[in-house]
Amino acid sequence: MLRTNLKILFTVAMTLAVFTFIANVIPQVQSAVPEEIEIRADMTPDELVGIGETLYFGVGGCTACHGLGTRAPDILGVAGTVCATRNPGQSCKEYLWESLVSPVSYIVEGFQPIMLDQSRLMSQAELWTLVAFLEAQGGEVTVGPDDFAAAAAADEAALAAAAEPPPTDPSAVDVMGILRVHCLACHAYGGQGAMVGPPLEELTGRSYEEIERGILEPNADTAAGYEPFAGVMPTYYGDQLAPAELEALIQFLMEGGAPGGSTDGSVGDDAPPGEDRP
Amino acid sequence: MNSKLSAISRHGWIAWGAAAVAFLAAAPALAQQFTGPEYGEFALFGLDRRGAIWIAAQLHLLFAAFVLGVPMFAVVIEAIGMFGGDQRYDKLAKEFTRLLLVAYSATAIWGAILVFFLSTLYPNFWSYLTGIFAPSMWLYAGLFFFESFTLYLYYYGWDAWKKGIAKKFHWGLGIMLNVWGTAVMFIANGWLTYMMSPPEGVTAETAPPQIELWSAINNATWMPINIHRLLANVVFGGAIVGAYAAYRFLTSKTDDERAHYDWMGYTGNFIAIGALIVLPFAGYWLGREIYEFSQTMGITMMGGFMSWLWIIQAFLIGILFLAGNYYLWVGMGRIPGAERFQPYIKWMLLVLVLGVIVWATPNTMIASRDEIAAMGGTHHPFLGVLGVMSAKNTAVNLMILTTFLSFLMYRRANREPVVAWARAATMLQGLAFAVCALVVLAYGIWGYFVEAIVRIGFSVYQVLAVLVTILFVTALDVLMLRGARSRGTIRWGHMPPRSQYALLVLAVTFTWLMGLMGFARSGIRQHWHVYEVIRDTSEQAFTPALGPAATMISICVALFFGLVGMIFWLGGLSEKSADQPSGATAAGTG
Repeated sequence: MLRTNLKILFTVAMTLAVFTFIANVIPQVQSAVPEEIEIRADMTPDELVGIGETLYFGVGGCTACHGLGTRAPDILGVAGTVCATRNPGQSCKEYLWESLVSPVSYIVEGFQPIMLDQSRLMSQAELWTLVAFLEAQGGEVTVGPDDFAAAAAADEAALAAAAEPPPTDPSAVDVMGILRVHCLACHAYGGQGAMVGPPLEELTGRSYEEIERGILEPNADTAAGYEPFAGVMPTYYGDQLAPAELEALIQFLMEGGAPGGSTDGSVGDDAPPGEDRP
Repeated sequence: MNSKLSAISRHGWIAWGAAAVAFLAAAPALAQQFTGPEYGEFALFGLDRRGAIWIAAQLHLLFAAFVLGVPMFAVVIEAIGMFGGDQRYDKLAKEFTRLLLVAYSATAIWGAILVFFLSTLYPNFWSYLTGIFAPSMWLYAGLFFFESFTLYLYYYGWDAWKKGIAKKFHWGLGIMLNVWGTAVMFIANGWLTYMMSPPEGVTAETAPPQIELWSAINNATWMPINIHRLLANVVFGGAIVGAYAAYRFLTSKTDDERAHYDWMGYTGNFIAIGALIVLPFAGYWLGREIYEFSQTMGITMMGGFMSWLWIIQAFLIGILFLAGNYYLWVGMGRIPGAERFQPYIKWMLLVLVLGVIVWATPNTMIASRDEIAAMGGTHHPFLGVLGVMSAKNTAVNLMILTTFLSFLMYRRANREPVVAWARAATMLQGLAFAVCALVVLAYGIWGYFVEAIVRIGFSVYQVLAVLVTILFVTALDVLMLRGARSRGTIRWGHMPPRSQYALLVLAVTFTWLMGLMGFARSGIRQHWHVYEVIRDTSEQAFTPALGPAATMISICVALFFGLVGMIFWLGGLSEKSADQPSGATAAGTG
């Protein structure tokens, strides 16, 4: 009896030991609490690359798609060599910046335009460190103090804008600004924007409730012809837009032009954040 | 009668005492205002506050899973005995239920410890939770009372209500036991899923009274977790019952005992593996809902820092398939007529081993620059081809199909169909297996040549092919074996000890897998108590890597089996003290 009990004990203990051993010998990745990253214009290229690398493998979430071979191109070790050859007349730095803030502008053959505008997720200073890190993948780091000076100004302006109380009057809402910041990365309007989702002109004439549902619960239905992109649209607009902004946007889309935006369908002369940087 | 009453009283007081203390501990927290996370200190046995709460929560969950899973199949087995007139099933159902009694007290005690730890180590966060969920907590306590009372009536009334309408009433108690237990689990799931996927509009500034109770409970991952846990509890309950039977088999002194526990072990294994086959579908649903709720959370889970966890999961499920099939193959040695299937076993083993190898091939891993350089690229030049979803889905579907074939052979082993169309039906079954395997393989290969979104759709066709085949072949088998001639009686109890160790390994692996998946579910919140609402500001806010997590899981599983061993021992003591010898009628057929 004692012998049998010892055998049973040994079986249980050995099974646990094997599982624990295997889990301890595979690569150990710990999810750290995001730290405040200090970025200064006077940092050396190596320091910038180091921060960019931290963002790339950390909160930037880049490895969720890049490096898998299926969702997005593999860029480690090669980004700095191919960047200057993608668009004639565009420098490596310009191309990399554009690929972060307007990722649908150039789609590498064989991949889908699924990447989001990273300027909505990171500050411009952080984006420049990513550019520096990507340039260092086989190329020379050209990101410098001028880029960070401009980025700091843009980030301060963005913070100041965020600190302002949200509008309460729908007629005072800058709908075109909302379109530029939130919509045109995936939807076309007035001949601008991308085609990940249906053109916004197609919503003209639809009911308020229908458009509201499309914004707040974007994954409830998928427009015909856009099935490959089902689930791509974020579900946070209910939180990001103030009630007055949401109302103005829906009204605008219902009528194909409304108060707060230009009625000719253009999205204004303001360049998207960072477009005029490099 | 007096001893029964004292037993009811003993179990009841332990459970109710624990529950009452737990809610007393909660009461001061209800009166507190939420002022931001603050934490109590814990430093015992080398554990910090997170280690303490981890162990308490994990042990509470393991015992709870057992006491919720076992009644589900106990009531089905009782029904088989009641409507089929076979008393062996009735005795088996009663023996399953006997295991519940002490386990039930252990569940309540660990629940109370968990609440103590929450209210003393995480007082403000606990206050926040009670501020939202207090009414559901009182409902939980009420349902817990009904569940306890019904369990004691169900077990201790077994022999008193064993005939006619009284037996049906008793069976009704079993059903009610499941209803209360499921309701209790659903309520508790509301609390934990709120932490994962709080409703839209809830922010750090939202005061708990402003959060509507139902919207907090009915959050994005609540129902998928409910269904996933419901199925997983059956798997887990079956596996633990199998381990109990294995222990009793190995320590049995008579052939009758061995026969009884051999049959019990087979039944437990059948329940565990049978429910395991459908569990991945609930897992897919849960995964999809997590992605729908937050793509960031979904990517963290599958492609982020947790990506290696899925390789470990594949390895564990591989062990489950191999051990489960091995038990069946060894068991065929006690069935006259099973020899004719022996030549096929090596090929089935080959399919399973290849399946595990493919499934456990790393692919979408976070890799450092050094690792990528060592590999010669972001993917291994050869293994990279096997690591993609097309190959993995194909592998797991073929493994499920192979396991089903093992069950079919086991079922057919000592039976010889007498219907005239038996040969044609057998050929049709073979054809169904072949066509299914080809469909699964074809979609697997085709998946390499299409876009990701199309490839994901293929996995549905593969799963459907396997499910349809299982249903079709089973239906045909049932019809074909009506009135079948016996090739001989199953020699229950004639099993080599190694088969019982396979059952033990199965139970330990299932338990460890539950701990691992619990870590995944909880860990994807990362440094948040409530995802993107209440931040964890303690020094343990980071999410540990798989190695330290595995060590904690192993400690929990070792503690659980230590306590379960004590429960089995106590069960044996009460059996010895009973007037009449237990169960142990040699079972005749499967």
